[in-house]
Parts: sequence; C-alpha cells; structure tokens
Amino acid sequence: MTPTIGDPRIVLPQQIKRDAVIFVRAMLAHPMYTGMSRDHDGTLIPEYFVKKVTVTYGGAEIAHFEWTSGVSADPYIEFPVRATREAPLAIAWTDSKGHVYRQSANVAFSA
Amino acid sequence: MRPQDRDLTRRTFLRAGTLALAALAAGTHTPLEAAAPLAREGDPDPLTGIIEPARKVVRAHFGDRPIRAGHVTMDTPETAPDGRQVPIFIDTDLPQTSTEYVKALHLIVDHNPDIYLAGYWLTPATGGASIDTRIKMRRSSYVRVIAETNRGELWGTAKFVYVTLNGCV
Repeated sequence: MTPTIGDPRIVLPQQIKRDAVIFVRAMLAHPMYTGMSRDHDGTLIPEYFVKKVTVTYGGAEIAHFEWTSGVSADPYIEFPVRATREAPLAIAWTDSKGHVYRQSANVAFSA
Repeated sequence: MRPQDRDLTRRTFLRAGTLALAALAAGTHTPLEAAAPLAREGDPDPLTGIIEPARKVVRAHFGDRPIRAGHVTMDTPETAPDGRQVPIFIDTDLPQTSTEYVKALHLIVDHNPDIYLAGYWLTPATGGASIDTRIKMRRSSYVRVIAETNRGELWGTAKFVYVTLNGCV
C-alpha cells in the first residue's frame, strides 16, 4: 500500500486582529517511517520522514523545526505567530529524500 | 466550529486554569494577569529519573549548563493509549520580545530510538513560545522539554507518560 504523501495544509484563525498572537495549525500527509517497522511480507520499511520545517512570514524566516521520525505520521503542529502585518505565511516541509512540500496562507486583518 | 473560533480554547483554558490554581495556592485575590508565573514550587526537576543515554544527549546539546525547573509546562496524558499518537502541548510564560525571547524548545524522550525527538526554533516574531503536536513513543518513558532563551538560560520540565500500545512504527 502506498501511503498518501503531500497535501500540505495551513489553518489560520478566521478573525485576525493586528498585532495579536495567532495560532497557526499546519498538517502534512506523510508516513514518517522510522526504519524499524516491517510491511506485511516482513520486509523492513526504510526510514523516511520529514526532517525540517521552515516557517516564513512576509518572506522572512520566523521559525524552523528540526524533526526526527519520532514525530507522528501525518505530522500536525500548532505554533504562535504575532500578526504584525498583512502578508503571506508560508511553510516548507523537507523530507529525508529531499522532497519539499510547500503551502502558504495570507494573514489578513478582519474589519 | 473550529477551535480557534471559540472564545475559550483549550490553550486559554489551560493557561487560565493554571494561573487560577497558582493564585489559589498563594492565597491571594490578584487578577489573573498579575498572577504568579506558570511554574511553581514543586515543579519536577527537568532531569528527574533520567537514564544514561538520555543524559548523554542532554550533555551533547547543553554541556554542563544548568537546566532549571520552571517557566515551562507540558500537557500530555499520564497514560497514552496509542504510542503512535501521543499529544504533547508545550507552553512557556517566558517573554517573547526583541530583546528577550525563547530561542528554542527541545523535546526529549528517554526511551525512544531518537532520544532528541524534535527542536523547535523560534524568534521574537512568533510572539510566544508554545507548540502543540503529536509524537510517537516506543514505551512508557519520561518526556522532557527544555526551553532555551536567547541569553542562554535553560528552563525545563519532565513528565512520565505511560504508553499502553507501543508505537514506534
């Protein structure tokens, strides 16, 4: 069975006020194999996981996360960002095969 | 309804609850905003019950710098039914300003194959230092969080999490 990989998602709050700290939720479909599990034939599944996550806001890096295969499959994360301006918030997930999954969402202030 | 659309989220509930307890413990009627920091006396030593392999990892990352108890809380179930999906919620009450901020949150699980499970590197632009995520645990183990400030101070906490179904798959 081939796992689903990709489908990066970012969820921002619906109402954002200027200078408020918002909580960004991000998800990616990824098997996060540790290299220690076996498939149904007993063959070891090689390790394959997301190693690095980079968060940019208006083009400037504001956070990055270093992961191991100890992060759960289909990794989910929620983290704070201070909404200082209307700009895109972009996340790039890089896995151990060098594939990069990107998603971005626009921080826009509610009237 | 999405959680963030509610006035009272899990995050604000936890924070308010902790502060309220702190205020009660102090026997005062201070408003919540002025209440004591998240950390209180009796916080677990961040390195309590540590096993040698994990101690080596901690030493490799932080040398002999002191890791003090306080300012960091970790909310996770005492018993995790599924070791493949253990929710971990890390929060701090340390400032996140341009001059004083949490540079990184380090997550350590003593009995996992990768003892240093994840590092979350933050900047003043995040406006706070908290992380909500899901991790795998091979077996019951201490889970530790160490917050590193831009001035090089280290604050941490630890909690033993029982795992019913082991989950390093």
